[in-house]
Amino acid sequence: MIRVLGTSFNPTAALDEFTKYNCDAGAITSFLGQVRNEYGSVQELYLESYPGVTEDGILDAVANAKVHWKLTDVMVIHRIGAMGVGEPIVLVAIAAKHRRAAFEACDYLMDYLKTEAVFWKRQTGANGTEWIEPRAEDYKDNKRWSTS
Amino acid sequence: MIKILYFGRLRENAGRREETLALPQGIASVSTLKNWLNTEHELDGALDDPSVKTMVNQALVHDDVTLDGDEEIGFLPPVGGG
Repeated sequence: MIRVLGTSFNPTAALDEFTKYNCDAGAITSFLGQVRNEYGSVQELYLESYPGVTEDGILDAVANAKVHWKLTDVMVIHRIGAMGVGEPIVLVAIAAKHRRAAFEACDYLMDYLKTEAVFWKRQTGANGTEWIEPRAEDYKDNKRWSTS
Repeated sequence: MIKILYFGRLRENAGRREETLALPQGIASVSTLKNWLNTEHELDGALDDPSVKTMVNQALVHDDVTLDGDEEIGFLPPVGGG
């Protein structure tokens, strides 16, 4: 299940529901990304998507993950719109029979979301407003999966 | 009518998120449309930046793709990740 939401969501409730739905999976991993404080310099993060294209890209990444690892279920919830410090941006949860597949698939999907997913990100803070692109470390992380 | 969508910083360059218009006379490809928009909206060549991708009906295309006049055209600067 993937969702791109324009309003805030409750990651605890979403993960609880996912866990209950996959009560027979041996392993569940999750990653929650939220707006960083950056030493008080960030006031707002704004994310924009291309409706349809963004969702299709995430679905392709989930399909790739299911080819590489044996997964029981995948959940991706991603925010768009304006967010304040501490607000959840993204929640990825993986259910699998064993932990290694669940850990790696979660890592893989987060690397996709950080570098290739169709989102544009604008940060407003002490230095004004600027559009943010992935860091060199994000691209390096994502390249780890190119030979797997 | 064509529907044009501007994303990320291009929205600020164009001063709009989207617009719907009839394909201007003499414009029949992505390339000529980009040139026309660059002039029409005083984009200072923003659409010619090689990092800007174009989608027609949500599929990535090259600039030489022809237009019929009823497409959705998206201009995408580099994605920022989530």
